[in-house]
Formats: sequence, structure tokens, C-alpha cells
Amino acid sequence: MTADVPRPGPPLVEMRGVTKTFPGVRALDEVSLAIRAGEVHMLLGQNGAGKSTLIKVLYGATHPDRGEILIEGRPVRITSAADGRRLGIAVIFQELSLVPYLDVAQNIFLGREFRGPVPGTVSHRRAHAEARRLLDLLGLDLDTRTPVQALGVAQQQLVEIAKALSQQARILVMDEPTAALSDHEVELLFDRIRALKQQGIAIVYISHRLREVFAIGDRITVLRDGRHVATTTPGETSLDALVALMVGREVDTTYRHGFCERPGGVVLSVSDLAAENGVRGASLEVRAGEIVGLAGLVGAGRTELARAIFGADRVTGGSVALDGADLRAGPDATACAVRAGAGLVPEDRKAEGLALARSVQDNLLVSGLRRLFPRGWYRAGVAARTATGLIERLAVATPSPRQPVRLLSGGNQQKVVIGKWLNAGSRFFIFDEPTRGIDVGAKAEIYRLIERLVHDGAGVLLISSELPEMVAVCDRAYVMRDKAIVGELPRGELTEENILRLAMHHDGGGSPRRGAR
Amino acid sequence: MRAAGPRPRLTAIPGVAYLLAGLFLVFAIAGSGFASVANLLNIGVQSSILLLLALPMTLIIMSQGLDLSVGAVLGLAGVVLALVLADGGTLPLAFAAALAVGAAFGVLNGLLVVGLGIPPFVTTLGTLGIAQGAALVATGGHSVSGLGGALPALYAGTWLGLPFSIVVAAAAYAAFHGLLYHTRFGVYVFALGGNPEALGLAGVRAPLYHVGVYAVGGLMAGFAALLLTGRMNAGHPIAAIGMEFDAIAAVIVGGTSFERGNGWLPGTVLGVLTVGVLRNGLNVLAVPSSLQVAGIGLLVIAALLIDSVRRTR
Repeated sequence: MTADVPRPGPPLVEMRGVTKTFPGVRALDEVSLAIRAGEVHMLLGQNGAGKSTLIKVLYGATHPDRGEILIEGRPVRITSAADGRRLGIAVIFQELSLVPYLDVAQNIFLGREFRGPVPGTVSHRRAHAEARRLLDLLGLDLDTRTPVQALGVAQQQLVEIAKALSQQARILVMDEPTAALSDHEVELLFDRIRALKQQGIAIVYISHRLREVFAIGDRITVLRDGRHVATTTPGETSLDALVALMVGREVDTTYRHGFCERPGGVVLSVSDLAAENGVRGASLEVRAGEIVGLAGLVGAGRTELARAIFGADRVTGGSVALDGADLRAGPDATACAVRAGAGLVPEDRKAEGLALARSVQDNLLVSGLRRLFPRGWYRAGVAARTATGLIERLAVATPSPRQPVRLLSGGNQQKVVIGKWLNAGSRFFIFDEPTRGIDVGAKAEIYRLIERLVHDGAGVLLISSELPEMVAVCDRAYVMRDKAIVGELPRGELTEENILRLAMHHDGGGSPRRGAR
Repeated sequence: MRAAGPRPRLTAIPGVAYLLAGLFLVFAIAGSGFASVANLLNIGVQSSILLLLALPMTLIIMSQGLDLSVGAVLGLAGVVLALVLADGGTLPLAFAAALAVGAAFGVLNGLLVVGLGIPPFVTTLGTLGIAQGAALVATGGHSVSGLGGALPALYAGTWLGLPFSIVVAAAAYAAFHGLLYHTRFGVYVFALGGNPEALGLAGVRAPLYHVGVYAVGGLMAGFAALLLTGRMNAGHPIAAIGMEFDAIAAVIVGGTSFERGNGWLPGTVLGVLTVGVLRNGLNVLAVPSSLQVAGIGLLVIAALLIDSVRRTR
């Protein structure tokens, strides 16, 4: 239980002054972290605070620019996942690292197969026996001969955990291990974690569920903007204090000149929408002139909801209406949404928003060809004039309309995506992480463009993991958690604290999935 | 995978089994002499070369790859085998030369695909051309005969009343079954197709095994040269043209898919037999061989349709 006092002692792992810079972002800035044997060390922070980068450095998936790692006081070099394994570091990945058509036992022992009698052969008998023993420890009633593709996500996650436990690790890193688990499974996992603590194993635990911090954590480290903010214990802190530590990032607040005082008519109306990608019971509204935020942590279902609205993922229930007209579901839902005036500026603009090898002009015109050339004849003069007009209007920095779009900077590429929808006559825009990977100057420019869109009467749904930006830009916001909308914050209540409170589990009443299995 | 897991097992009769049974019935009724023991053995003999190509093709497709060069490599290896024999070389020497040619092309394919990242389709289309051209150059476009008595004697041999080539094919199946389901290599083939990143994170030298998959494909094409040249008692540079089409069709008809390492080796045997029955049956009914290719194309689509209908039901 939480009453367990961690044995004080020298740290098993120590990370000192770890710094890691990605182009345009300082992901980690002189972060130091000490993890003792037999403790569960919780790592907290907003999206982008540097948690994932820090553990990637620890298990060798990325190399820090500066800083060192010590294990039992000795400096070590970890340059690959194999190095990490040799040093006894095991990771439970958020993205499943399972092979779909191998069975449970084969997956658990992948890369560490039991040798059979003949060289090169494997012993299935020993693998199944050993896997059975591990699963029993986790209280899992799974057939070790089932191929993992026949299992549900929660069961796959448990296999992943069994796999990490089987590695006899001294240091176990868990990145949101409970994201897909039911309460009962979470309890079994926590029992296992307590047993592992008794064996002196150090556990680094990343969670977005604040109540887990108090249920299982011994010490807590909070990161913000790639910096170490505080290390504390559950006894010395509170939920509100932790939330306060996580927020407070600095942001340019001049992104927005004036908020929407009197919104116009309803542009987008979504009611009780459910989709194959997991979104359920989503209802929301966007009016003309409004920038409406869609907040939530990574994995909360924001992109999924956006794709369902846009018809890119199959809708299974509820309705989406644009300017009062219901959008059709089905295979041509996206075409229908675009014709009704919807535009999606996707998170991965290179893969989903642009044809990188094609010219700026082609990319600007592609979605509006039907409008521009209703009879199907491509007229080069009209195309060139239209493209030039858009380039001027959006101030796209390109030497020529013929420049391949891949040669443009991130900010200018983003403008091309926006221009594509302007040309298609869109009146409702979904922006999914529009400022990711864009430098500060271009960021402000993108937000000015968005502001101009709503000024001209469009409605905007904005997804961003940058809470300060969201607070600075949105007229109001919906907050998502577990693929559902869990609350709405009007302008007056739109603060980082309130968003985090809704986005993280700490209602004390258990997860909404209670008893779902 | 249909072979494993408690739930899939109940509905486990794969589409290819229905196809095989259906085709067999149709030809048995329509073609006189189709169902005779002699003709069935004939189907077995005709299918054995195809099986030698389809077994490694199963592993290649499972790893999300493709090998278009197997037919041409088989042709080249067959020609090399014949040339060595015609030159007075012993059968073991000739066979070793054929294996070496096959393995070399397999390793080359693997290095190009894995090492340089050239898409398998492009790589093996290129090596198809190289092998094809080399076979024509080596023979001047003519067939190679006068191979001596050792190869015909071996090929005419029987074991328990079964022709040599069927015995070889059965042994090859046993070897591949062991390889895929009972060795580390086999486990890694599933992982290469299903989640190569996980394999790397598990500390396995995945590229080595990946090249190995293509090497096995080339080696088996060299091995199959023994049966091809033995059957004709001559080396024909264009004898195996287009066999990659039958091999790929047989693997896909047998239920192996390009997605996520989903493969099933017994299905490949059924797929090979289905292609063999179709070809033989159409022969018995005197359908020209150009139309037979269209028939195999239909077969592939039918097999995929049956499986997709069954899946969605």
C-alpha cells in the first residue's frame, strides 16, 4: 500500500544534466532524476513536457546531447535498446510491440527463445510452461497458445506487461500501462508492482491518471517544458498542487487580438456521434466566428473525433450537420463533407495534407478543382491566377507557384494546406495540432491566419496539445478523455488547470470503464 | 492464422479446401481419366516443382516481401545443372552448382531489398531479367542435352511406389514445416512481417534473418532445378518462365497474406494442389495453356473472395 516507505539508499539509476534538443525544440533541459531500488517513481507532466524523451534516453532509443546516466554509481553508455536490456532496463511500450500472428508465449519470449534439442530449434513446451507461470503471477487466465491478434487491446497490453516482467529487469519503465485496462486488471497490475518493489526493482511509471500517483507512487517527479520542476512524495503534495506544478508554461499571449463577442449561426453541429475508431457519444457545436478548442491528452480521442466529423473514419451512430444540412455517412462521407464546406488541416500534414512532390500551385488547387473548373477542363491561366492570388493572400514564402511543396518550411507548408481549403470554399475548418514542429514566428502567423478565417465568418475547431496556446486562442473549449467529451469550458473558465482537471483521471470514482468487461 | 487459437479452429476449414474439393469434383465428372491413379500421380509430379518454389515464397510473402525472380533463377539453375552434366561433370557437382547459382541470386535479392531498401518488386524484377538473360547467353538460346545417365536414373527412381519428385516435395514440406514452426528463424519470419520494430527492440539482428528469407528462396529455386532438368532430361533456358506467377498464386490461394505476417504453410500445399488440379484438369479438357493462366487468375480472386466473405460474416 501507499504506506510502504521506500528504503532509502543510493539511487539505482541516476540521470544527470540530460539535455536533448530537436530542431526548434529543447525537449530536455538539464534534467536530473534519481530512481532508487524498490521505489515506484511517477513521472508527471503535460504533453510535450519531456517525459517520453527522458525515458527514451534511459532505454537507449535516443541519444542526449549532454548529460550522463549512472547505474549503481557507475557511468554507463546506452546507445541502443540492446544496451538497455543488458543493463537490466525493460520497457512496457505504449505502442504495442507485439507480433500479431505469433502466440502469447512466443511474443513474451521473442528474441529470447528457449532452445530446443536440435541447434536452431525452439522448445514450445518450455515457453508455454514459463509463460503460464508468468500469466498466473499476473492473475491472467489467457491461453498461451492464442495468437495475440485474436486478443483485445487490454489483453494485449497485459501480454506486453508479462513480456517486460519476464526479462528479469532491475529497472522497469511503464509508459501509461493502464490506459487500456479495467479497474480489476489495474488492481492486479498494482499487486504485481508491489511485489516487484519488494524484490528491489526500480519502477519508472508514467501516467495521466492522477489518482494512480497516490495509489502506487512512492516519489513523484514533475516535468514542464523539458525542465525538472519538482520531486516530491504523495504524502507531501496534493492533486491541486501537482496540477499547479504541471501548468504555468510561458506563451506569447498576443496570438489573439479580440475574442468572439457575438458568435453567428451554428456552422457545425455534432450530436451523439459514435465512430468505428472508438469515439462515442460526442456532441458539440461550433458557431460562425468562433475558435473552439478540443483539448485532451494524447490518446484521448481528439484526432479520432476530428476524423469522424470529417468522414475520414467510419461513423456508426449520431449525426454531423454543416450549416444545418446533415452530412451523409458512408464511403463518400469525406467528399460530401468537403462539398458541404468542411476542411481538415491534419496533424501529419506531410502525409495527409500535402502531395509533397507536387508544386505549391497543384497543392493549393487540388481540393477546389471542381469549383474552379466545373466542366472538367483545366485552364492553365485560371489555375495560375488563382494560385498566385492565394499565395499573396496567405503570404506563402515560395520562389514560384511551381516550387515543389516539400522544399517549403513547415510554416509555409501549413499555409498551403490552409489555402487548399480556402480555394475549396470551406467555411468550417478543423485544425489538428497546426503549430507542431513550427517555429515561434510562424506559429503566430498561423494563429493570425486562423483568426482571420473566423473573422471572415468561418467556424474553427482547434486541436492542440499546447495548453497555453489553446487558452490564449480559443473562445471556448471541449475537453476529451477516453474517446468521449467530458466537459465544456466557456472563455471565462478556460484555464490550463481546468483543462487538466477534466483531462486527467482524478475524480476518485474510478475509471468510467468500471465493470465494462 | 487459421491453424491456431481456440476460436478460429471451429470455422477452420479454409476457403482453399472448398476450392480444391470443388475443382476436383468438376474435373472428375467432366474429364474422363482425370480421377485415375496415374493422373493423380501425374498431378503430384507436376505440382512438386511448384511446391519447392511456393514454400519459400510463403515465407517471403509473410515477411511482406515478394520474389518475382524464382522462375528465371530456376531456369538459369536448370541450365547450369545441364551444362555441367553435358560437360562430363558428376551429378553431385552439377547439383551443387545449381544450388550455388540459386543461393547467390537469393542472397543478392536479400541484400538489395534489406541492405539498400529497394522495394522487393523492383529488386526481383531486375534479378528476373538478369537470370533470364544469363540463361539465354549461357545456352545461346538452345536447349542443352546429352546429360548422361545419372540424372535420368535418379529421376526415374521411386520410394514406396511414389515417384522421386513427390518424395522430394514431401521432404521439402517437412523441412519447411520444421523451419517455420519449430526454429528461431521461423519465429522471426512471423515477426519480420508482423512487427519488425518489435524484433529489433528484442535485440534480434533482424536484417540478417530478413536476408536469410530471400536466400532460402533462391536456394530452393536452385534445388528445384534438379526436378526441372530431370523431368525434361535437358536444360531449357526458358522452361520455367512464369513459374513465379503460379507460385505466388498458390501461396495467396493458400491463405497467406501480405499483411502483418499472416501465413499458413499447410495452406500453401493446398494452394499448390489447387493450381496443379486446375492446370491438369484444363489440360485433360484440352483448354489451351494461355487460357489456363486466366483460369489461375480467376482462382486467386475466387479464393480471396471466399475468405473475405467468410471473415465478414
